[in-house]
Amino acid sequence: MSKLKEMLKNVRVWIFIILLVFSIISIHPVINKDGVAIRNVIKESAAAKAGIESPNPRIVPTKREIINSINNQLIKNLQDYDNAVNLLKANQTVRIATNKNTYVLRTIPLTETTILNETEWVNKTFTENNKTYSKLILENKTKTEIIGMQDIGIKVYEKPGSNIRKGLDLQGGTRVLLQPENETPKEDMDFILDNMKQRLNVYGLTDIVVRAASDLPVYLGGTGKDFIIVEIPGVNEEEVKDLLARQGKFEAKVANKTIFKGGNDITYVCRSSDCSGIDPYAGCSQAEGQWFCRFRFSITLSPEAAQKQAEATKDLAILPSETERRYLSEKLQLFLDDELVDELNIGEDLKGQAVTDIEISGSGSGITQQAAIPDSLNNMKSLQTILITGSLPVKLNIVKTDSISPTLGKEFINNSLFIAIIAAIVVVLLILVRYRRFTTAFPVIIIMLSEIVMLLGVAALIGWSLDLAAIAGIIIAIGTGVNDQIIIVDETLKKEKEAVSGFKEKIKRAFFIIMTAYFTMVVAMLPLLFAGAGLLKGFALTTLIGISIGVFITRPAFAVMIEILLKD
Amino acid sequence: MSKKSRFKKWLRQQNEEEFKEEKKEIKKEETIHEVKHRNLLMNIYDKHYKKLLIVSFALLLFAIIVIGIKYAQTGEFFKKSVDIQGGISITLSSDSYIDISKLQNTLSSDFNQNDINIRTLSAAGKQTGIIVDIDIDLNDKENTEKLINAIRKELNLELKQGEYTIAGIGSSLGKSFFKGALLALLVAFIAMSIIVFLSFRVPVPSLAVVLAAFSDIITTLAVVDLIGMRISTAGIAAFLMLIGYSVDTDILLSTRVLKRKEGSVLDKTIDAAKTGLMMSLTAIAAVLIALIFTQSSVLKEIMIIIIIGLLADIIYTWIQNAGILRWYLQRKNV
Repeated sequence: MSKLKEMLKNVRVWIFIILLVFSIISIHPVINKDGVAIRNVIKESAAAKAGIESPNPRIVPTKREIINSINNQLIKNLQDYDNAVNLLKANQTVRIATNKNTYVLRTIPLTETTILNETEWVNKTFTENNKTYSKLILENKTKTEIIGMQDIGIKVYEKPGSNIRKGLDLQGGTRVLLQPENETPKEDMDFILDNMKQRLNVYGLTDIVVRAASDLPVYLGGTGKDFIIVEIPGVNEEEVKDLLARQGKFEAKVANKTIFKGGNDITYVCRSSDCSGIDPYAGCSQAEGQWFCRFRFSITLSPEAAQKQAEATKDLAILPSETERRYLSEKLQLFLDDELVDELNIGEDLKGQAVTDIEISGSGSGITQQAAIPDSLNNMKSLQTILITGSLPVKLNIVKTDSISPTLGKEFINNSLFIAIIAAIVVVLLILVRYRRFTTAFPVIIIMLSEIVMLLGVAALIGWSLDLAAIAGIIIAIGTGVNDQIIIVDETLKKEKEAVSGFKEKIKRAFFIIMTAYFTMVVAMLPLLFAGAGLLKGFALTTLIGISIGVFITRPAFAVMIEILLKD
Repeated sequence: MSKKSRFKKWLRQQNEEEFKEEKKEIKKEETIHEVKHRNLLMNIYDKHYKKLLIVSFALLLFAIIVIGIKYAQTGEFFKKSVDIQGGISITLSSDSYIDISKLQNTLSSDFNQNDINIRTLSAAGKQTGIIVDIDIDLNDKENTEKLINAIRKELNLELKQGEYTIAGIGSSLGKSFFKGALLALLVAFIAMSIIVFLSFRVPVPSLAVVLAAFSDIITTLAVVDLIGMRISTAGIAAFLMLIGYSVDTDILLSTRVLKRKEGSVLDKTIDAAKTGLMMSLTAIAAVLIALIFTQSSVLKEIMIIIIIGLLADIIYTWIQNAGILRWYLQRKNV
């Protein structure tokens, strides 16, 4: 007890204790694990309409919004959530209680529209040059059926147990490394990053990392090239790959003349269900064993673009047709990244008219109708995104992808914990066998554990995600820590006859060894911070932080503890 | 703490120290017979250290020859894995046993143009899954699909999206990353040498430390070549760690031998070895456990390289570096 008091008189021990407590506060372990956290909310979904918002990615994990109950049924884990959501039906009122608010949702039905062989006359309203007129049109009769419920639009994940962010390989997700095709000036790079983030947000993804990275400069033997790293947790690669790799250069042409482009030419893109979705007139059809579903959504063009359209169409011929609907001789062609994605017929009433409200359509396919509908809707979403955010100044190539399945990620965490515990036990046993006293083994355990805690504390504080590379870094840091402790203990235990060789001298010598070893490790890790587009940065940074905590905080405290404990 | 109280404390320690010395005198007699047991080994270590030094250099030479032969045969210093070579790797976990040689045969005949490498994932000796590496372009959807279908068919697994993971890298990028990593290794090595020279400020012992680290890396690479392991970027990172770990014990040895005034060179070396071997032992034990239980192929690769390096380091620190130091000090004193 008196020894403990003596330790507490030492400044180094106090610094150690204060930083340890601070680390635990920063990690913020959560004891109550009940509930599921909201990862993101899909736009235009029932949840979004009820006012549930996607979390701000900068919010620390433990401050995320947690769903506690659905329709008064307690939600404890992901399984409960899935069960509760599966019970819901279309047009139902749902009460979702979170730790922040209670929301009332109305589920949206999923409808399917089929075209019947009968025709009917419908009165349609047209707007042209601010004049409204109506006209009777002969159209196929349609039938709309409710076939289910639209996804309520909340993506959830297990409630975070602490503020430590898990890296991609520990929670599952996709990392894509993109490289601009041509050399890109800094401003363009910033624009690309912004645009990219926006696109992914439109896509309903949050918690994403989009950052620039560059390789070593040419004069150091690297490529000097810029890269963009995109990390998206909980999503598989196919979903992101398409959208990201595209330059997203959207152009609409008539007779090879550009009418409008994605971005500035388009002032509004409809994404609500009344003017976007599966085309009720075209619907789904089957051909050669495949189902095709057409989507459509309306957009508003800028007056300049509308004018261009009027000029391009004014000299076109009207094709003869047997039905009431007649079209112009050229089609409106939609190009995405210079590839023709769709052709739209232009109705005769649009000839030479500067119409600002037009409808864009396209299609998706699948083996069954059930598969073709979501595919079509996904295509629609990507196209809408591109139209909203405009095109990127340069084409991006995918140069590296990593995708980790969530189950594998979870196993990695448990596995790493298991290894850490066993390894720590073995190290402590070895130390016990070697020194044959608890007074030596005890501080070793304390220091080992607190180094891990402090390292995690720093990671939580700076928002650094822990991945496999970081775990390797932790192992290195802890291993170096144990090595240094052995040096300190051995130096302290030396019983030389030399009178001047007091404790101070020994510790000084121990710290000479430790500091020299420390600096060699630091210089060995520094180049890794910059090489390989920074993909090994996590490893290097964790190691550097870990060994620095060791040398400047825990080692001095350990030396004091050992000094006090070993004198009997 | 004030200077006065520090001084008091120091005085108290000195007294206690002397008191302990007396106790130790008695203990010494008890340990004498223990020393006798080691006589033969100690004798060799003491009297024939120059011969042992030659043995360590012969080992280094052997390692260089192994790497040389590898280079002559393949044009590469070591087998590169997909993330350096360019290509994709598919990881899938499975509870049931997968015969990888059979899978290798089938896939090799389906993709006879490609270099296919199949590894098993295991934890605690039990197979938990496989990794298929192949050098097809990561944007080559058609062949990727074809490969997955072939695996599906051969293993009779459903394999939905999300049940397997695909990682890929373009070949030019892989090469450039590799170049970067090698450069990092070189820069790290040079920087480490500078730190060592600055710390000790005596050429021969510093050179001995740097040589030991160099020999350690070369020998580890030779062993990696001999067991036919493929190296990825993570492996390069492991070599970087090795620089740090290997230099640890060398610095310990040099500090003890050069800076401590009392005792013969041999005594100081053995003393340092007791500490150093304990350090290596704990590190090897921890790394071995990680190697046995980890499910991650990345960590496994890192751990294998570190274990080989730590073992080689024992030879290069306590025979090569220690031998050079002794030889240097003897010549200096003559």
